[in-house]
Amino acid sequence: MPSYNFKAIKVVPSSKDFIDIVLSRTQRQTPTVVHNGWAIARIRQFYMRKVKYTQSNWHDKLTTILEDFPKVDDIHPFYADLLNVLYDRDHFKLALGQLHMARQLIDRVSQDYVRLLKYGDSLYRCKQLKRAAMGRMCTIMKKQAASLAYLEQVRQHLSRLPSIDPATRTILVTGYPNVGKSSFMNKVTRADVDVQPYAFTTKSLFVGHLDHKYLRWQVIDTPGILDRPLEERNTIEMQSITALAHLRAAVLYIVDISEQCGYTIAQQAALFHSIRPLFSNKPLLIVANKTDAIRPEALPDADKAILAEMGRAEVTEAEAQILTMSTLTEENVMAVKVAACERLLAARVEMKMQGKRINDVANRMHVAMPKLRDGASRPPQIPPSVLAARAAKSSSTAAALRKTERNLQEENGGAGVYSCDETKRYLLDNVHWRRDIIPEIMDGHNIADFVDPDIDAKLEALEQEEDRLAAAWEASGVGMQVDALSPQEALMLQRIRTRKVKIRALHQRQKAVAGNQAVLPRGADAERTLTTSRMRDSLEGMGMDGSLAVARARSRSRVGRKRERSMGPSAMDIDGGAEGEDGDVIMAPPKKRIHSSKSRSMSRGRLASMEAPTAKTGLKDSVQKNKAIKMADRQQRVRGKEARKGEGDRHIPSLRPKHLLVGHRGKGKTDRR
Amino acid sequence: MATRCQFENSNDVGVFAKLTNAYCLAALGGSENFYSVFEAELSEHIPVVKTSIAGTRLVGRVCVGNKNGLLLPNTTSDQELGHIRNSLPDEVVVQRIDERLSALGNCIACNDYVSLIHPDIDRETEEFVADVLGVEVFKMSIASNVLVGSYCAFTNQGGLVHPHTSVEDLDELSSLLQVPIVAGTVNRGSDVIGAGLVANDWSAFCGLDTTATELSVIESVLKLRDSQPSNIVKEMRASLIDSMV
Repeated sequence: MPSYNFKAIKVVPSSKDFIDIVLSRTQRQTPTVVHNGWAIARIRQFYMRKVKYTQSNWHDKLTTILEDFPKVDDIHPFYADLLNVLYDRDHFKLALGQLHMARQLIDRVSQDYVRLLKYGDSLYRCKQLKRAAMGRMCTIMKKQAASLAYLEQVRQHLSRLPSIDPATRTILVTGYPNVGKSSFMNKVTRADVDVQPYAFTTKSLFVGHLDHKYLRWQVIDTPGILDRPLEERNTIEMQSITALAHLRAAVLYIVDISEQCGYTIAQQAALFHSIRPLFSNKPLLIVANKTDAIRPEALPDADKAILAEMGRAEVTEAEAQILTMSTLTEENVMAVKVAACERLLAARVEMKMQGKRINDVANRMHVAMPKLRDGASRPPQIPPSVLAARAAKSSSTAAALRKTERNLQEENGGAGVYSCDETKRYLLDNVHWRRDIIPEIMDGHNIADFVDPDIDAKLEALEQEEDRLAAAWEASGVGMQVDALSPQEALMLQRIRTRKVKIRALHQRQKAVAGNQAVLPRGADAERTLTTSRMRDSLEGMGMDGSLAVARARSRSRVGRKRERSMGPSAMDIDGGAEGEDGDVIMAPPKKRIHSSKSRSMSRGRLASMEAPTAKTGLKDSVQKNKAIKMADRQQRVRGKEARKGEGDRHIPSLRPKHLLVGHRGKGKTDRR
Repeated sequence: MATRCQFENSNDVGVFAKLTNAYCLAALGGSENFYSVFEAELSEHIPVVKTSIAGTRLVGRVCVGNKNGLLLPNTTSDQELGHIRNSLPDEVVVQRIDERLSALGNCIACNDYVSLIHPDIDRETEEFVADVLGVEVFKMSIASNVLVGSYCAFTNQGGLVHPHTSVEDLDELSSLLQVPIVAGTVNRGSDVIGAGLVANDWSAFCGLDTTATELSVIESVLKLRDSQPSNIVKEMRASLIDSMV
């Protein structure tokens, strides 16, 4: 069974907003960067995607609108007619039809331009085609401005309609304006309908609910109607007529017998007779209201006759009587309600009894009463206290309210905090037993039987004995004597530990580079570990005399000695191989090598130092060139000794480049770019 | 009278409670709300015991009992057994039985005189039911469901069974049980009557979703509040037809 809920219809944007929404969505959801250098197929594809995406967006949004709004031909005739009355069926259908047409046009535009884009031969042309396509789509939608605005208004109104279920038990209240329809509604339901002393206070249908006979009943308050031809009725009256025409409901036709509403009884009867066709096949009750103003008996005979005539009109179907009530004093209001419900229920049951579905639930209408199968009596077992309590309750009220566990729980901190005493309600001969611990049984034995009652005392004795023995041991003085270290020993221990730390650190350092370390010359002693003073200290620490060793080292060093001059090649030539005339052995001039990464092979004919600088080096002569080489060497020496990283070393800026290692991997290779 | 209640947002009160004419068992919950519904109605007349059975809260489905006795599954712990024995009067025999179909509440339905049991239940258990509960035992199915305890609820005054039970079956059940029987629903159309309703001879508790029509059928057939089963076919007939068809 469909339920009529028009509150879920999505908002219909105005045409301007609609265009903005769709175009900005296309902009956001499709790629935006395109290059002239791309292959033309790719450029075409780029623009086709934009056109297609825009089209599908329009299509989806229009489809939602078309599906959200009720289709006049599919819904219950009551709602179909109500739509016609309130919003004009033709207008409504036209608006939806135009949106449908717009959707088709947009689809076609997209199809055409996608086809044209296949022949676009440059980025510029493709772009122009895309612009044209989108422009045409927007123009189509711009033309729908009126339809969209109308549909938005309809949506807002629909969402505020009362949710009337056309299939359920319904009581319809109808009559001239101001006869007391809304007052009756307010009396029998909890709907709070506005009641005012002027005509057409109620301008639309209102729904309230009441309970009767275990069932939920829907009461519909309708706007008042005047006695005039259907063509002249206004929208407000037409809503009443629609409800009367299409809802299978009990109709309460309310007549104001006091004529305070401004219409005579005769006029009200005339209206009744003119709309009588609408009441056919429906339970109808004619209710004379405002008996507080004038008693029905006090009416003039002419009016009485008119009322009787109205009542007779109804007798054709059932025993129609004219009910009287006063919504002001609430006299008879409930009787009217009950009468209406009973009449409607009877009518509905009669109709349902003729259907097929009654057979499915026939078994549930059947109360199986037992046939006696033996002589045994099986009386109910109701404790006398229950019967007594029942009698007490029926005679006098005042059943003392007991404090339940729930009350206690709320008083003592609420759920989760309050903990109930489970043993509170134990039925025991002696109340003191209720705290007794239930013995734990395992394999048929009580665990308590196997527990030594003296276990604590025994443990105590054992601990005392242990303390005693420990004290005796202390007293005997046997065992390891642990004294404090002497200052010398402490110092020595300190040194040992320091040394250990250093050795370990050195080892770790070497291990960390996995032996990949430059071999340093012995002289490169950054930490100044290999000095003569240290050697002497070390030897003396071992109890040896270090002075000899130091002296020898000093004699070998060049400190305090003047540097030998290297001889120029000319001198070498002069003195070369010549034994001194004066008999001295002339020392061979030391072979001076020019250290340089640029130093040449020794097999070269000329010494590099002799070579004249090449042109454009900016050096004057070989002397200057040699000086430059030396300066470069000196610079290099420091680094060389420290074996630090230099410019020439291979360098990898980042071993784990982030862009290759984070996030999802694409199709590309995982090698660095 | 019939009361609507809920156990921790579940409408299946028959799962979490067991009600007889001599005592009531209610499950341990996060709060005292469910227990207090029973306490407020019953504790002046019969003991209302808050307990777990076999460490579960499904007390209504794992045990079966009447005013004479209470049968518990063999998974019940000693502590639970002791707690129940202490809380119930001495006239009620509490017995733990070794039955393979340990959800006794689903497999056995009984009042103080008659019981219906699942066809596959052991002979030994059948004897226990007859001896401890003091009832006649009938092997039956309800609307071709063998779980008789789940699909019916009956007292010494009347009973409600699965909505698809045929008229012939209703008559047969009524003759066996010697109480008026009606096919119906609880909890807005639920057919597991045993889970939605617990009742004894003077009170009943059903899920919060139970509609007014369902509740009035229950009250009528169980003869609560001076209502008679004949009301169902007389006064309530129109309402029933209109709400069901």
